[in-house]
Amino acid sequence: MKHLFLVLSLVLALNGQAVGQGVEPAALLKPAVDSWPTYHGDYSGQHHSTLTQITPANVGQLTLAWAFQTGSSASIKSTPVLVNGILYFSAPDQLWAIDARSARQIWHYRYPENTGFHIGHRGVAVYKDFVYLTTPDAHLVALDARTGTVRWNVEIADVKRGYWSTNAPLLVRNHLLVGVAGDFDNLPGMLTSVDPETGKTQWVFYSTPPKGTPGSTSGGATGGQMWMTGTYDPELDLIFVGTGNPTPVLNGAARPGDNPWTCSIVAIHPETGRLEWGFQATPHDTHDWDASEVPVLVDGVVDGVQRKLLLQASRNGYFFVLDRANGASLKTVPFAAANWASGIDKAGRPIPNPAKDPSRDGRLVAPNESGGTNYRSPSFDPATGLFIVSAQDGYGIYFYKPEHGDYGWAGADHSVYGRAFLRAIDYRTGAFRWTHDLGDGGAPAGVLTTASGVTFSGDSSGNLLALRTTDGSTLWHSQIGTVGNSPITYELDGRQYLVVSGGGVLFAFVLGVRS
Amino acid sequence: MAGVWLLVLAQLGSVRLQADQHQVRLNQHQVRLKPDTTYYRYGGAQGAPAQPAAPAGQAIFASRCGFCHGRDAAGGEGGPDLTVSVLVSTDVNGDKLMPVIRDGRIDKGMPAFATLGASDLSAVVAFIHDQKKKAESNPGRRRSVDLADLQTGNVEAGRAYFNGAGGCARCHKPDGDLAGIASRLRGLALMQRMLNPGANRGQKPNPATVTLIVRTGETITGRLAYRDEFTIALIDASGWYRSWPTSSVRFTVDDPLDAHRAQLAQYTDADMHDVLAYLQTLR
Repeated sequence: MKHLFLVLSLVLALNGQAVGQGVEPAALLKPAVDSWPTYHGDYSGQHHSTLTQITPANVGQLTLAWAFQTGSSASIKSTPVLVNGILYFSAPDQLWAIDARSARQIWHYRYPENTGFHIGHRGVAVYKDFVYLTTPDAHLVALDARTGTVRWNVEIADVKRGYWSTNAPLLVRNHLLVGVAGDFDNLPGMLTSVDPETGKTQWVFYSTPPKGTPGSTSGGATGGQMWMTGTYDPELDLIFVGTGNPTPVLNGAARPGDNPWTCSIVAIHPETGRLEWGFQATPHDTHDWDASEVPVLVDGVVDGVQRKLLLQASRNGYFFVLDRANGASLKTVPFAAANWASGIDKAGRPIPNPAKDPSRDGRLVAPNESGGTNYRSPSFDPATGLFIVSAQDGYGIYFYKPEHGDYGWAGADHSVYGRAFLRAIDYRTGAFRWTHDLGDGGAPAGVLTTASGVTFSGDSSGNLLALRTTDGSTLWHSQIGTVGNSPITYELDGRQYLVVSGGGVLFAFVLGVRS
Repeated sequence: MAGVWLLVLAQLGSVRLQADQHQVRLNQHQVRLKPDTTYYRYGGAQGAPAQPAAPAGQAIFASRCGFCHGRDAAGGEGGPDLTVSVLVSTDVNGDKLMPVIRDGRIDKGMPAFATLGASDLSAVVAFIHDQKKKAESNPGRRRSVDLADLQTGNVEAGRAYFNGAGGCARCHKPDGDLAGIASRLRGLALMQRMLNPGANRGQKPNPATVTLIVRTGETITGRLAYRDEFTIALIDASGWYRSWPTSSVRFTVDDPLDAHRAQLAQYTDADMHDVLAYLQTLR
């Protein structure tokens, strides 16, 4: 009976399904190659694909399969989700469903005009036949993934207090984790678990507790917003999320101490929202260096011991290797210009040098506000053990004086200069295996590696790049305009697609041309 | 609505919006929007409706006061942020502001605006109060830097650094290219120009030059027009833009700004403030 079922499953898999299907939560544990069912592609956040059709030898034959024009001048920052042959991607107030083979628009949803902060949008989440969009006014909208019809709309946080959301929610079983943001007001950092069927709140995890919470350890800090999609280890049954900067942002005097859990990586139980452990990438941050970057989950050997690891290249310019079972630090090394720390403490945290705190007359600080890297995905390539990140060596000047007050930004900072590099870090040693110059300016693109040894990313001049993963040498490029998201790949009808945004256009590349 | 706000912001002048990785400066002369960012205003309608005189005051303020105080009155090249000024907060219908505007504060570098008529004066006062209300309705906003904040450097130490360790004198002359620099730029603008003259250059030509040898062996030199990993381009002697694949030519780029970029990792904060103090003497 079991065998018959397997055979039937195989037949269905080979011949296609009689009816389209949504995403069952269990499918996220081992995503099929014809899908990219979550923001990160899978739960590990490795942003790596097992596909091997596109290789270093043939990547030069990549050609345009299609280009989807959003008709918007705004760049696409969101990373698409692919299920059932349909790509879902977003911009503030907007969600597109397009045919992953032809780029034909299936439906387009526009959220009503609102006063929330329209800074950008990361992407969507799917569950069964639901697709979810967070909004600039910090709502969560559930739509029918087939038609774009709204099923329900719930408020996650109060826009009038200054919250907004750009978040691509993370689905774990029957928990949809929704993050918010808000740097211009002193707001508790919150991550909300929502029932994906009903929109009902299941729990809220606070990285900084609401005012008056007994036993608070945040030192008066608010903030620590969890605006980026986390990762998940099903064996440990823990969710890992990076938290943002504290508020007031540049005025550190108003919030003494380390301000946990801002600028941290936190491990949370999905059923309850209970904190298992936290690790602070920047204690007492005064430079807007969110630790929101992807907590990448890797099983590997460090110092001769097989471990469950968590790797993060953080906005503060440091690369962290943690044991994800308990949050213990295994390695802390800079991966971008950083002049703000006087050393590394016993817990593996950089020690902020108070002389680099924002001051009345200004302090020249590396990284600048946009960081040693930012939210776009790095990639981990298991074959080489390389963690590849788009980094920036940048400097900014930071100002704070008491007249700036203790609310919201509470200071001023100005970027001076930055140069971008793709850096391949050996996670076992922290050493750079190679560095690829990306040019003046920030590092706008995410990174994708494939099992065939190709690394895809973008430079600061608008070139989409394909590099050899082993040495960082250039194999192919195409000038498509600033790559604003993280490239993804999938296989449909036996063809491997590379999908990436350039400006307000979504591009798909394939090998050769098949009529 | 977003478009309207953008226009309003652009007209108000230098307003800084937080973006998740970019910093953006909007003003009437240059709208430098990174193409990958959608900018809308955060929050709802800000502040009370403008007083009737405020729109008229905006134009006068922009032309007469904006250079120093910023077109939005939140501080500019040298002039303080009027939205947090004690004088403005204690002013009632111009009783404190009008005399200062009319007579100036010559000792502090503010000229007298003696020719402004009564209606213009009250329009400017109304605009300033309106801007203050707007700012206060957004208390978490990014803040401004005053000229007075930047006076911590030591002129002599700055001169020594300029002529010695900083290496500035290799390219710059205080009585040559830098003569009068402190009259042209003040405060934060001077500091930013000192740290990275490559930023906010507007229409100024790129100072970098390219020397390039093409396959025929011919050498071509010109002003650097574009460079990425795959393409090198210059403006040649006849003013034409010409480009080559980087793989097809040999070339060298001489960019005098490279020294500024390299210096960022060398400056101590004291060096930075000392050199600024020295540059401020070059009027």
